[in-house]
Amino acid sequence: MPLKHTKWITVFIALFLVLPIFMGLIGTLLPAFQFFPPLGEYTFSLDPWRNMLAQGEFYASLKLTLISGIGGPLLSLWLALSLLAWGYQRPFFKKIEAFLSPILAIPHAAIAIGLLFLLSPSGWLIRLFSPWLTGFERPPNWITVQDPYSLSLIFALVIKEMPYLLFVMMAAMKSIQARETIQACQALGYGRLTLWRKVLIPQLYPIIRLPIFIVIAFSLTVVDLALVIGPNTPSTLAITLYRWFNDPDLSMRLMGSAGAVFLMLVIVFTLAGWEIMHKLLSHLTRYERSNGRRCGFSDNLLGSGVVLGLITLLSAFAALLLLPLWSVAKRWRFPDALPSTWTWNNIERATPLLLELASNTLIIAVIATLIAGVFSLIMLEIKRLSCAKSATPSEHHAFDWLIYVPILLPQIGFLFGLHVLLIYLDLNGSLCAIIALHLMYVLPYVYLTLKGPYLAYNEQYLQQANRLNYYPWRHYVTIKLAMLKPALFTAFAMGFSVSIAQYLPTLIAGEGRHSTLTTEAVALAASGDRKKVGSMALLQALFPVIVFWFAQVIPSRWTKWRLTIKCFFSKDKKCSA
Amino acid sequence: MLSVNAFTLSTKNKVLIKDLSFTIEKGQVLSLMGPSGIGKSSLLHYLSGTLSPTLTATGNVLLDNNTLHNQSIQSRKVGLLQQMPLLFPHMSILENLLFAIPPEIKKQERQDLAYQALEKLNMPDKAHSLPKQLSGGQQARVALLRTLLAKPDFLLLDEPFSKLDPALRRDVRTFVLAEIRHANIPALLVTHDAEDAKAMEGKCLEIEAAE
Repeated sequence: MPLKHTKWITVFIALFLVLPIFMGLIGTLLPAFQFFPPLGEYTFSLDPWRNMLAQGEFYASLKLTLISGIGGPLLSLWLALSLLAWGYQRPFFKKIEAFLSPILAIPHAAIAIGLLFLLSPSGWLIRLFSPWLTGFERPPNWITVQDPYSLSLIFALVIKEMPYLLFVMMAAMKSIQARETIQACQALGYGRLTLWRKVLIPQLYPIIRLPIFIVIAFSLTVVDLALVIGPNTPSTLAITLYRWFNDPDLSMRLMGSAGAVFLMLVIVFTLAGWEIMHKLLSHLTRYERSNGRRCGFSDNLLGSGVVLGLITLLSAFAALLLLPLWSVAKRWRFPDALPSTWTWNNIERATPLLLELASNTLIIAVIATLIAGVFSLIMLEIKRLSCAKSATPSEHHAFDWLIYVPILLPQIGFLFGLHVLLIYLDLNGSLCAIIALHLMYVLPYVYLTLKGPYLAYNEQYLQQANRLNYYPWRHYVTIKLAMLKPALFTAFAMGFSVSIAQYLPTLIAGEGRHSTLTTEAVALAASGDRKKVGSMALLQALFPVIVFWFAQVIPSRWTKWRLTIKCFFSKDKKCSA
Repeated sequence: MLSVNAFTLSTKNKVLIKDLSFTIEKGQVLSLMGPSGIGKSSLLHYLSGTLSPTLTATGNVLLDNNTLHNQSIQSRKVGLLQQMPLLFPHMSILENLLFAIPPEIKKQERQDLAYQALEKLNMPDKAHSLPKQLSGGQQARVALLRTLLAKPDFLLLDEPFSKLDPALRRDVRTFVLAEIRHANIPALLVTHDAEDAKAMEGKCLEIEAAE
């Protein structure tokens, strides 16, 4: 890309990445200390903190947040490591790999709704064993979802995060020469799980530290998942804050802001504690690693993780399969494992609403992703130029860490602050505002997906094209971007699915005036109208899967199709595509 | 005629090539040999205007008595052929050839020129194939003709034969030499292989490390 003024563009994009978040943080930080001009509060004080600490709900919520926010990532990491250690480079594991990407692509709200259908007292799991085993003729009076210990929330978090960690780990395996290490260790007589535990996992951990941190920050602050399947009254801290922010009594916002600041501190301390625990653990196991024992008791830890991991994956699929089932069920009484009568009426009746929601969702997702794509290309081109110019190409451009800021910071921490800014700008509730907020979350994923292939591109093709005929802009598109099609399509699918999944940004920027499949599905999840919720969650899950499928199929066949079409319309009889 | 006077190439702390001068007549190939890493390819990049910003180079380059080295890349009219044929993988062979033909030429004539090139390559049936369906030797020849279809004023060859197997290499060399003579432009070949230099039937210049 023949870019000029790269310095200015760099500054502009960096500001775009940082400024909204900075404003949002300020908009949260000031009210947390009682300074909130819209309510006529111009003096600083610690009252919001005192009020917050006086709430009994606060402590209960904090406990739940810590349990689910640490338990979820810990379990996800354990199960993901176990599955990888057990299956790495085994043929059937390739099939599991293929199952991972749909789970990754599907919005977590849809998975949570599917889990609700699976695990609730009247859910499919109990139906399957009723009445022949359990004797239940009606749903038992158990609390299996939204339980007060947030176990179902942890389970939902694990279902969402374990595949992600597994995916990240498999990408990281190449850089630690895993295959050679495994062969060398097996030649020394080490068992598979032991060599993983002693040799590979210690090497793998530093590479996947950042993704683990992202997972922890996400688990501590997740809103939509917790709304659907988390405990309520008391709920997790993020949900409690969310309620405070939405309270008709606007002064509750001050307390909510204090809570949001506190939640960010919780993240910092949790991450620090996690790292200290890791240091401690690796220190304690250091001796054990080199004691020469070829197998050990703690191998069982990995072994049992495999079983749990497979159960988790299986229930994720069961949950997803229940979505279409409910959307076409007419009569499905309790102990029946399948609906007794089927119908398209549910979908037909919901069609006008679904069409509206789907078009809103698609417009936002497509526009946000396309903008993110253009931004990513410009950012990567600047990075490439700066790498080419310096004699010692440094790995880290400012963009490489700036891009993580929106992912790592809790949405609840700055979105409400940002909302105040939107009101000042008179952008609140507009489609533009929603797209802009989505962009903040879509951009990092698009950038990170494109980064590898873009920087690996052999620039000589483009240079040769410009030597033959000098049209730098045209050739950037027709040669470089055309050759990068597979990466561009994958990045689009990635950004698209991230946008579809956004709940809080849509709600806050849109003020409920623009509903998407996600906001509506989460809002209705508790309603009990499973047929309607099922259809919504199904659509929500279907879009990303279809887009990912397109991203796989189209780029590899594009040229063949293009040449066939071209031949069809040309007079040239020698055409044989 | 292409002439280079007192070409000097250096990195931040080291002089690679010092005071290199030569001239090449139209239709002739000058072969440049020397150890790897000395900056032979960088000389070609200097001539084509794409020198890496980490290197500095000085020296006069004249093409038919017009200075070349201070012109922009687009006005140099240079053809460069490298180890990799760099055929665009998402275009058919015909499209690759058409891509190079200057835009002033009218549509029908463009088609004719491209098909003539295919005839010359003995592969008119491959017009709508993709580059990856061709053998390495075929790709190298298509790449040469594509470069020449752009009507360059001079040609730079950066070890274009090194990736080919020996039997093919001989054929491709003869083909390249014949085409350069036919196009009647000066050509500079950088190579490791003394056989390459001999086959080009021109002068051969060996450069050594400076200092």
